[in-house]
Amino acid sequence: MKSSLATLALAMLLACVRPADAAGQYESIDYYVQQMIVQGDADDATGVQTFREQLDNLRRPEPGDPAKARPFQQQGLEHLARGNLKDALAAFRQAFIADPADPKIAGQLGQTYLRLRRFKEAERLSVYALSLAPAQSAVWLTLGEVYGQTGDALRAGGAFANAYRFAEDPASVADQLRRLATGGDADALKAGAQKALRLGQPAADRKPAPPATPAPPSPTASTAPAPGPNPAPEAATPARADAGPAEKAAVAGSVLGSLRRGLAQLASRPGGANPTGSPPPAPNTDSPGQRIYRQGAALTCLIVTFRNGKTDNLGSGLLVSSDGLVLTNNHVIDKADNLAVRCGERESTARVRKRSKEPDLALLATSLAGGEAFALNETYSQDLIGRDVFVIGNPYGLEGTFSTGVISGLREIDGVRYIQISAPVSPGNSGGPVILRDGSVIGITAMGLKVGQNLNFAIASAEIIASGLFDPARMRSRPLGHDR
Amino acid sequence: MRAERFLLASTFAAWLVPAPATGQISEQNRFYVQQMIERAAANDEQGVTATQRVLEQSPKPAPADPASARAALQRGVAALERNELEPALTAFRQAGQADPGNVEAASYLGLVYRKLDRLSDAESALQQALALEPARAVAWFQLAQVYGLQRDARRALGALANTYRFAQNPMRAEEILRNIAENEAADTLRNAALEALRLYRLPGEAVIVPPLPANPGIAPLNISPGSTRPRANRPPP
Repeated sequence: MKSSLATLALAMLLACVRPADAAGQYESIDYYVQQMIVQGDADDATGVQTFREQLDNLRRPEPGDPAKARPFQQQGLEHLARGNLKDALAAFRQAFIADPADPKIAGQLGQTYLRLRRFKEAERLSVYALSLAPAQSAVWLTLGEVYGQTGDALRAGGAFANAYRFAEDPASVADQLRRLATGGDADALKAGAQKALRLGQPAADRKPAPPATPAPPSPTASTAPAPGPNPAPEAATPARADAGPAEKAAVAGSVLGSLRRGLAQLASRPGGANPTGSPPPAPNTDSPGQRIYRQGAALTCLIVTFRNGKTDNLGSGLLVSSDGLVLTNNHVIDKADNLAVRCGERESTARVRKRSKEPDLALLATSLAGGEAFALNETYSQDLIGRDVFVIGNPYGLEGTFSTGVISGLREIDGVRYIQISAPVSPGNSGGPVILRDGSVIGITAMGLKVGQNLNFAIASAEIIASGLFDPARMRSRPLGHDR
Repeated sequence: MRAERFLLASTFAAWLVPAPATGQISEQNRFYVQQMIERAAANDEQGVTATQRVLEQSPKPAPADPASARAALQRGVAALERNELEPALTAFRQAGQADPGNVEAASYLGLVYRKLDRLSDAESALQQALALEPARAVAWFQLAQVYGLQRDARRALGALANTYRFAQNPMRAEEILRNIAENEAADTLRNAALEALRLYRLPGEAVIVPPLPANPGIAPLNISPGSTRPRANRPPP
């Protein structure tokens, strides 16, 4: 009682002296939210209520444009449901910028940051969302998870206790807390959830929490939103990356949706392994082009070079080993101070491992290990002429551009073997793969004639294999024969 | 320390010699806007505040014809909504002439100049808007975009820092900065946004692969240069 009075007095005092600058505004609301957490952890209902009222009394931000925000919010929810976290972030951001006074949008943005494991941003957005509506059970859950994931069991417990306190359906929140208490991947997260569960029990029933026993893994465990006053709707349906191992696997699969489809396609090839362990896909009715694109897009890289701290050049490349080696043209990276690559949805900085001017090749080391890679086709014979080829690259920065053509000829220029192709290529395609129907790479795009039409050239894979850049221990090659 | 002394001296000088109440922004006020940018980039909060006060206390030009200024402003906004930039420019200029102290007119003028790629004019108009109302976050943001296009990293940082400082909703401004820091294709503005976040110790992630321009020079094939209307379909040559 005494402490509640002291709390009240302090809160009143603070209400009178609030800093008003940009940083100070957040500090004020954070102070009240942190006090609600402390009081929640202490199971002090009066204290929680006191600081909640302080938040309720704060001046609300100017309302934004709900009509503009709504479609973005809907897109965000759809992306979140599919596990497309980056897209969800982009959509919720736009929704938030359009209407920063909507507590649900702020909470959903915070939840998305949490799933992206961007805990500082998740904390700030959640605190802000609670300043708009302090009784959002789902946001308290998010905040509790943030603290749990960052090792702060005390604050996790307080936030979870408030999630339970403000839940419209306490049984559902208790269920989620139980899952976090047993299935969470961080000790502080489990401890915080256990504490909140103990606080949620009637005083007479309280006893130390039993040792954690793993809950049966479920893709929706711990992620179903609390149907509280402001439930986060479908947003929370898919598994979070910070949940249990089974959920992690599910999320990883869905985040890299296109990569997964590509891998499944690769696995469905004759003699292909099944790296994902997933069941074989349904009979493939796609055109060869669609199949090649799905296989190859995630293994084709955008290469960005930097010079004097600024973006300098764009090019293409291809993953050629499971430990993340990327092959490209030397002229793409020639003058770069620094390099970055994006292959599918994965990004990495890169450094030059080997390079040669003739043939115009460079091998880059990246951190993109653990995935599939292209196999090089070692064939260089007249038998290639007339075969269909598929080119993926980033002409003028148009990422993942797909074009088709045929092998028009074999040319040796300055002692280097090239494959002449009719597929359209432009600046930015350099270093990208020229792919046969069987998914193997027959060359890498290098140059084109400025006169004429579709007179383009790729360094033959046979030339790459014969060069000092090819490492048979890490890269795959094969002869012609699988081409369908 | 030297800069602070200089600023202090300038501040005193500004109090002693009031800025002329003319339609054009005085060189003195332009100097103070630049000082606000420089002080913000240096994270000198006191310096920004002191210069802001000087600008706020400087006399504002009296409106010559407020009614016609309002009408011109409305015409300009309507034209801008239709993306008719030249008529909008004319209208905002008229509004500015009729009421030199009209901050909306100056701010819109800056926006239209920027859209027309007249960056030097845009800078000047936005400086005028900020001399009239130094805490106008939207004008700071537009000025940051102008400096981004001019590849002036330092000033882009200062202007973005002031955007955050004067934002009505700092959390929204913070998210806008993060959005620019992660999604802006132009290096200068993207890096400035990341620096601004760091200046205020706000979380943000540097991108590994910078975003690509959404439109790398793509133009509709059936539109002639300078026209917004599609040409009649003609058979290909």
